Amino acid sequence: MIQFQFITAFLLVVLGIYAFLAKRNLLKLVLALDIIDSGIHLLLISLGYRIELNEIPTAPIYTGYETLKSPMVGPLPQALVLTSIVIGVCVLALAVALTINAYRHYGTLDVRALRRLRG
Amino acid sequence: MNGEMLSYLIIVPLFGAFSMPIVSLAGRRARGAWALLISGTTLAVGSALFYSVWKSGGVFLYTLGAKSPLGQGVNFPIRIVWEVDLFGAIMVLMVTLVSFLAVLYSLSYMKHDTGLDKYYTLIIILELGMLGIAITGDLFNFYVFLEIMSIASYALVAFRNDTWEGIEAGIKYMFVGSIASSLILLGIALLYGEYGTLTMGYLAVKLTQNPTVVGKVALALFIAGLLFKSGASPVHMWLTDAHPAAPSSISAMLSGLVIKIGGIYALTRILFSIYENSVNMKAVGWIIIIFACITLIVGNTMAVIQTDMKRLLAYSSVGQIGYILLGLGIGLAAYGSQTGEIALAGAIYHTFNHALMKALLFLIAGAVIHQLGTRNLNELSGLAKTMPKTTFTFLIGAAAIIGMPPLNGFASKWLIYESSAVFNPLLGAIAIIGTAFCTAAYIRVLYTFFGRPSERAMEAKDPEGTMLWPIIILTVAIIVMGLFPWQISDKVMIPAAKALENQMAYVSALLGGA
Amino acid sequence: MFGYWDALYFVLVFIVGLILAYLLELWARRSGMGTREIGDGTKIFLSGEDPEKVIPGFEHFEGHYTGRNIMWGLTYALKRFFTVLRREHTGLLTDYVSYLVITTAFVLGVLLIWG
Repeated sequence: MIQFQFITAFLLVVLGIYAFLAKRNLLKLVLALDIIDSGIHLLLISLGYRIELNEIPTAPIYTGYETLKSPMVGPLPQALVLTSIVIGVCVLALAVALTINAYRHYGTLDVRALRRLRG
Repeated sequence: MNGEMLSYLIIVPLFGAFSMPIVSLAGRRARGAWALLISGTTLAVGSALFYSVWKSGGVFLYTLGAKSPLGQGVNFPIRIVWEVDLFGAIMVLMVTLVSFLAVLYSLSYMKHDTGLDKYYTLIIILELGMLGIAITGDLFNFYVFLEIMSIASYALVAFRNDTWEGIEAGIKYMFVGSIASSLILLGIALLYGEYGTLTMGYLAVKLTQNPTVVGKVALALFIAGLLFKSGASPVHMWLTDAHPAAPSSISAMLSGLVIKIGGIYALTRILFSIYENSVNMKAVGWIIIIFACITLIVGNTMAVIQTDMKRLLAYSSVGQIGYILLGLGIGLAAYGSQTGEIALAGAIYHTFNHALMKALLFLIAGAVIHQLGTRNLNELSGLAKTMPKTTFTFLIGAAAIIGMPPLNGFASKWLIYESSAVFNPLLGAIAIIGTAFCTAAYIRVLYTFFGRPSERAMEAKDPEGTMLWPIIILTVAIIVMGLFPWQISDKVMIPAAKALENQMAYVSALLGGA
Repeated sequence: MFGYWDALYFVLVFIVGLILAYLLELWARRSGMGTREIGDGTKIFLSGEDPEKVIPGFEHFEGHYTGRNIMWGLTYALKRFFTVLRREHTGLLTDYVSYLVITTAFVLGVLLIWG
């Protein structure tokens, strides 16, 4: 069957990079950063889904495992995504703080106005 | 090999950074003394680590949380490991030394700024991120430390947020840097999905047994993201906006350490210790050589026509990264022969030398700005009359960068010229043209310093106190290292190049047990 | 490779060269007519910066010897190259990202075809 999760993940990354190249508002660029991160997180989570013995796997919780004996999804990608979400929040907070400061100095949120440093 | 010392390299800066806001409640002197104590202790641990790794000649391994990285009952590693060979130990020594001198310098340089407890916290977190990258042996751990280092440097570039320059440079660096880090994370996710492991040594084994297209796509994403972080052309433009806008002690750390650890060291580790036998080394080497040639020409040429002193030094940094990338590329393309080994040793040696030289130049630029208040070269004429010590040390630093013989820049540049001339004479010609433009840029600054003093330069005087000591220490280090170049090259740099090419030792230290 | 390159020998040769230059200058001073001390020819003229000529609007620059015109020959000969380079460094954020995307595409293409 068609693996929709991988297609969506790569589509999100490509949409984020397109938004970065085509949009002019600084807040839309911050949102584009977030969309790229979401795409990569979706890719990482969907890599943990394993099909074993033709059964749908459940969440990786050990309580009551001896009676159920069902396959589980891999727990390592979930740990990686949690770390990455925290890093993404940190970057987002710093980006929005810098955007507010840029509005105070330049008076506009257009990214084409930030051209004083060139050459 | 025992690696218990490795944990102290991370514990001491982490403890120091998180207790800095509490200690700074006790006053200005307590804050400065605590920062100096933490970075001095890290310097002691770093040099002890370098000495023991150099003496033993092997690879140190440290597993987080257990005695051995292998799992119970299975024979593949499942824990996070820290693995240091001689190249990593040289990087650790470089990072701790320059960070200690930058903290010492900023005790009196940043006296007139406010919010200094956040500044000292961020500078120690920056050092922590770099040390983490230099000693890690696990891919996702590398990504976490890379992000720690990058976020600390974004915040430090935009530190003076009452000027438009800091904010604009911070926004440009931050937005594009986040995209490059996301590309690296995408590469790590693809590699994990294909091979199921994140430990660098075990991933090398699996890649050699089963090279696929996904591995090559991940390698392309790694190369693009890490070339951005190291300041190669055509993606070097963030560097020339961010390095002048930061405070000068942070510029010294950014231009001397961050672009080398976050870019060059990471690229070398991924290319040599993970992908060594599973891709065509000649193709990858030639890609890096092409980017190195573009960087050499663009970086050194744009430095000739600048009027801002720190921007000229930033473009010169871009040019010198071209030399290091050229050595790295030839080391890949001529893998296995003596030319490749000499090129790789030249690249490692130039990394260490350039960190010292560029830190010295940026600290001197900071002293000049502190005294005169301007960075424009047209107003800085005649500094030699009123600031003689500063001009003399700038002369030593500039002579070292352009590669004059009794100083330390000569030996590393000579190794790169020699190997590139033997490999392909066109590359040697491009390298020497780059040096010619670099000389032109520094002669402009030196002529300005040796002219007749302007009114602003008349009322300047030499920096004193803690601003002078790091400059003198770096100058003495440059002169002493320049008097014994071949001993250093034969005893330290060529064994480091040999250990880097020896992927078997890296892997067997991991899988052979504790 | 390629000869004998010890750093201490370079310092020795440099000092011997300095002594030779000093002796040559003593000989020249003894045997020639001397250099000018007064007059119009003693002005320092660094690539076009005349300290006596005053440009109305830049009075604060008179008397300085800056390195502004030092590399005039190099800059003039490569003027087209420098203009192209300077025009490429636009300063726009979207240009930085487009260069990153172009670099990724180039490296991906070369690596998939030849390696």
